[in-house]
Amino acid sequence: MSVVTRKLIAKELYVNRWFIGGGSVTAAASVALAAAGGGAFNIGALTWLTTVIAFGVMLGIYGVVNERKEQSLQFVLSLPISIADYVRAKLFGLLLAFLIMWVAATASAVLVVLLAAKVPDGLLPYVLLLCFFMLANFCVVLCGALHARSEALVTGTIIVTNMGVSVFMFTVGLFPSLREHMFGATPVWNTTFFNVLIVELIVLVIAVVLPLVTVSRRRDFL
Amino acid sequence: MTVTKHIEMRGVSKAYRFFTLQDISLDLEPGQVMGFVGPNGAGKSTTIRLAMGLIAPDIGEIRVLGCRMPENQAFAKRDVGYVSADMRLMPNATVGWHMNFAASIYPGWDADYAATLVKRFNLRPEQGARSLSQGEHIKAALLLALARRPRLLILDEPTTGLDPVARHEMLTEFMDVLRDENRSILFSSHNTVDVERISDRITFLDRGRMVASSDKEGFLDRWRRIDVQLPQGAALPELPHIVGRASDGHFHTLTTDQFSELQLARLGNAVRNVHRMNLEEIFVANVMHHRESRP
Repeated sequence: MSVVTRKLIAKELYVNRWFIGGGSVTAAASVALAAAGGGAFNIGALTWLTTVIAFGVMLGIYGVVNERKEQSLQFVLSLPISIADYVRAKLFGLLLAFLIMWVAATASAVLVVLLAAKVPDGLLPYVLLLCFFMLANFCVVLCGALHARSEALVTGTIIVTNMGVSVFMFTVGLFPSLREHMFGATPVWNTTFFNVLIVELIVLVIAVVLPLVTVSRRRDFL
Repeated sequence: MTVTKHIEMRGVSKAYRFFTLQDISLDLEPGQVMGFVGPNGAGKSTTIRLAMGLIAPDIGEIRVLGCRMPENQAFAKRDVGYVSADMRLMPNATVGWHMNFAASIYPGWDADYAATLVKRFNLRPEQGARSLSQGEHIKAALLLALARRPRLLILDEPTTGLDPVARHEMLTEFMDVLRDENRSILFSSHNTVDVERISDRITFLDRGRMVASSDKEGFLDRWRRIDVQLPQGAALPELPHIVGRASDGHFHTLTTDQFSELQLARLGNAVRNVHRMNLEEIFVANVMHHRESRP
């Protein structure tokens, strides 16, 4: 990886610093609210979910779409980099920006599940699957934003991935082997958990590798 | 020893749905300023983006500083400063951050010169890019390109949207660049006054084609408008190299792209005036002539 690519990755962290900080604090605060249980749990969980989804969407829109729309892409491409360097820098820079917030959101959710008396520990596998789903979901948004040349296509990807969160929650949450342990006192790490996790990781890897293989080879980038 | 041309294009074409750039061939030698003149939609920006490797030609070959484009663009762009009128800095960062960023990438970054340009362009390093006006964006982008002291500057309509004072400052900076014979500029504009002022080679582009390319003095020396008043019943003699004519009764205005004494001799006493043409007049006459002669 060239020096310029590394600097562009650092640039993504710098220009998105307020998003990263704001997103991490909001996610942590919302799970802290959820720890109170009852109605606060629902509000906290919903805020946490919204924060992680919105953060991913904002990164995709501001990091890729707006850069193209507002013509700062021209400035970036005037640097001594190839199209492949740009795609690498954008992909890893935004992924790193998301990961910082995602780690904060996931860690605080895990801590609340394990430490809060009103939240059952059995929820942990489901929470982790949801966290990895959101990570994979962001990678799909990023992959779509890097591929799409039109804003409409990016918007379409965002809508589909957002709908995917609800579909995931209701589908996976209804798997009997996950559902029956969800409100138990101890987390159960069964085959269903690992199967779902593997599928999520496969989607994540494909979404990350695809732009490196396809978009990097584009000969027309503007 | 063969000197590497700063830009070489051979038979370059690029087709889009509603526009095709056709068969562009041009050379930019070290120390030259090439003005790229054309109306809106002529293909100036497409040609410049091809030179920068941002798009690839369908056919033809492009070399910038000896590097094949777009394949070797990362290497070539180390020594190319590129600014376009619609380029914007990164919105969540200040001008100063951009300067530090450029300084960390380009070993040739001249901090003193950058500081001079900040003052000259009346920029504030602490100002966020989001709050810059269009003119300030262009000035900041130019500062970032110039302070690297690149061998080649590629400027796409850089004076668009600038006030006369800022335009003057910018053109003065370009002239400063050219004190170094190893540096060159490719400069596109539809403002022929700017091009006439700093270019020593001019290429006219219209509807995706190159209509003429020559050194500036060549254009200014060859093109003339000849006012003719013919006697009653006399016909205008056949003259070579007449690319435009306008008639009003006995009065005729002829435009020639190869002015010579021979033309005047053939017209004899009918010649009333011979006008030198400025670049804008030459450009318009050239474009109109090519449009009429094209099927």
